[in-house]
Amino acid sequence: MSYSWNWAVFLSPTPSGDSTYIGWLLQGLQWTLMLSLGAWVIAFLLGTLLGVLRTVPSRWLSRLAAAYVEAFRNVPLLVQLFTWYFVIPELLPRPWGDAVKQTDPLTQQFFAALLCLGCFTAARVCEQVRAGIGSLPRGQRAAGLALGLTLPQTYCYVLLPGALRLILPPLTSEFLNVFKNSAVASTIGLIELSRQSQQLVDYTAQTYEAFIVVTLMYMLINVAVMFGMRWLEHRTRIPGTLGSK
Amino acid sequence: MYEFDWSSILGALPILSHGMLVTLEITLTAIVIGILWGTLLALARLSDIRPLAWLAAGYVNLFRAVPLVMVILWFYLIVPALLKDVIGAAAGSDIRMVSALVAFALFESAYYAEIIRAGVQSVPKGQVNAAYALGMPYALTMRLVVLPQAFRNMLPLLLTQVIILFQDTSLVYVIGLADFFGAAYKVGDRDGRLVEMVLFAGAVYFVLCFGASLLVRQLRKRFAT
Amino acid sequence: MSMIEIDQVSKWYGAFQVLADCSTQVNKGEVVVVCGPSGSGKSTLIRCVNGLEGIQQGNIIVNGIALADLKTNLSKLRSRVGMVFQNFELFPHLSVTDNLTIGQIRMLGRSKEEAQARGLKMLDRVGLKAQAAKYPGALSGGQQQRVAIARALAMDPICMLFDEPTSALDPEMVKEVLDVMVELATEGMTMMCVTHEMGFARKVADRVIFMDHGRIVEDAAKSDFFGTPRSERVQLFLSKILQH
Repeated sequence: MSYSWNWAVFLSPTPSGDSTYIGWLLQGLQWTLMLSLGAWVIAFLLGTLLGVLRTVPSRWLSRLAAAYVEAFRNVPLLVQLFTWYFVIPELLPRPWGDAVKQTDPLTQQFFAALLCLGCFTAARVCEQVRAGIGSLPRGQRAAGLALGLTLPQTYCYVLLPGALRLILPPLTSEFLNVFKNSAVASTIGLIELSRQSQQLVDYTAQTYEAFIVVTLMYMLINVAVMFGMRWLEHRTRIPGTLGSK
Repeated sequence: MYEFDWSSILGALPILSHGMLVTLEITLTAIVIGILWGTLLALARLSDIRPLAWLAAGYVNLFRAVPLVMVILWFYLIVPALLKDVIGAAAGSDIRMVSALVAFALFESAYYAEIIRAGVQSVPKGQVNAAYALGMPYALTMRLVVLPQAFRNMLPLLLTQVIILFQDTSLVYVIGLADFFGAAYKVGDRDGRLVEMVLFAGAVYFVLCFGASLLVRQLRKRFAT
Repeated sequence: MSMIEIDQVSKWYGAFQVLADCSTQVNKGEVVVVCGPSGSGKSTLIRCVNGLEGIQQGNIIVNGIALADLKTNLSKLRSRVGMVFQNFELFPHLSVTDNLTIGQIRMLGRSKEEAQARGLKMLDRVGLKAQAAKYPGALSGGQQQRVAIARALAMDPICMLFDEPTSALDPEMVKEVLDVMVELATEGMTMMCVTHEMGFARKVADRVIFMDHGRIVEDAAKSDFFGTPRSERVQLFLSKILQH
């Protein structure tokens, strides 16, 4: 093979001179983390709310949440992202749309990706929460109401604490998916990790080094999340249930 | 307010349908190779031969840890160099399609492998023993007894993964391949009608995927009884 | 001449010893019943006979062929040793007929017609000829177990292994399975049966083996076993079983 390896490339300065290539990647990593964590907060809150709506006795609310899930699950993430980025600013009332378009591109890209990823993942979280609440013993809801708790209180103090513990493993994999899906933001120009790796390849032609390092970074995120979630699972475990000490 | 103009769609139908063919080609290739290679990976992962099991686990975990966008880029940038070195393909020939096919097939295999592994594990150990007791060797036991039952158990999950794959093919956008969405984007960009084309593409995906997921749900119900 | 020879066999799961120095043999045409409390290793022992489980020490020789011998074609040997399982283990995705023929076609190289003729004959023998086209899921437990016996018989086995064939059955179905087994025994089939059915043992067994904690505690002719069992453990076991 005629390829010449050069690991020192990461330390050489970028064309603009204000950073090194490894600096670029770290900056990309920072955007990836900010985007993913932010999107997860949205996804978790919105998804939990939707998941609760799926199980409340009101048929209309339940259908509304179901429609949300179907809409966000059956359109590709890329198309959703382009909708947030290109389409929605056009459809807003003119003054709002203009205001959006006048903010700097990076901010636009970041918020479009944040909302997109958050709303997309919320649909998946919703399904998990619904499944979690569904797999609790039926008597739990009745017992909560029988104690005189209101329905929202029953959800808050009885059903959700139980359900969220149950679905921690599938939530972990959804959380991991957010990091992976965040790479899609590179298509609208957000300089997150995978975008920076492309840039690095474009500028230095050291394809293999760039990809190896970025792949390692993604794997590192994976490992960190898995350890974190395992710790959380351990912390929130209820004594006397399966798997607790 | 924005004034919609949907007239670009009609003239773009040939381009769009060609794009849909590309989308389907990638999807089908990835399904076929993904299931075959994924089955081998799953069996390797369940094998008693430790190094084989580790290799398969490493493959699956690597591909599942990395974003699909990255995988598509890997193969787009790495495959040409390999092709040049190995078979001496002309530089500059369009390898986008080939690299996309390879990327999706290898990537999906990792996901199918996990589904198939769970399916194989869902078949009771007693079935394997019964096949062994009839004298069947490992390969025959897998082919005639375990895999037919495993595939039946995991069919709904496999089909759901197919729907996800069908949506994910839109990511070939990153290497500029004109699949259905890529075609829609190009037309929208050309005519200055990006809003309409993006919405139209989304609607088409929604109809197809929602329809397919209803079918899967029916199937699941039938299997449950 | 002995059909099955078990010679000083020991087996461990990690540090836990499941079989300890077990030796016995089953002669041609003999019916041997293996009994004992759950966890005594009796099922493990019978699974070792056709190599479904490996052993760490000792020797098992079936029809003159040593299982541990690297030259032994285990598949070929298994295809001639019939085995019946506690949970029937019919293949649920195949019809009764296909269950009966799959081994014959694949392992014995019989033609489809030949295999079907042989399979149907065995199905008739267990009294289920009418069920040939059904799937296992549509049959009762007792019927499934009889089909499983027919499946093993269709392979023209040199001996039959039964691993608790009636313990997963509802009480009213036990008899129909035992009847088939009794008939087999009286026709001279070599049989090794792990079972708690002492009535079956009294009726047709030549010898009874009692196991406890992985050891063969008692290995005696039927009359001796039920007449004057030597160990206290066997007396206790028998008194418990007979109370029911």
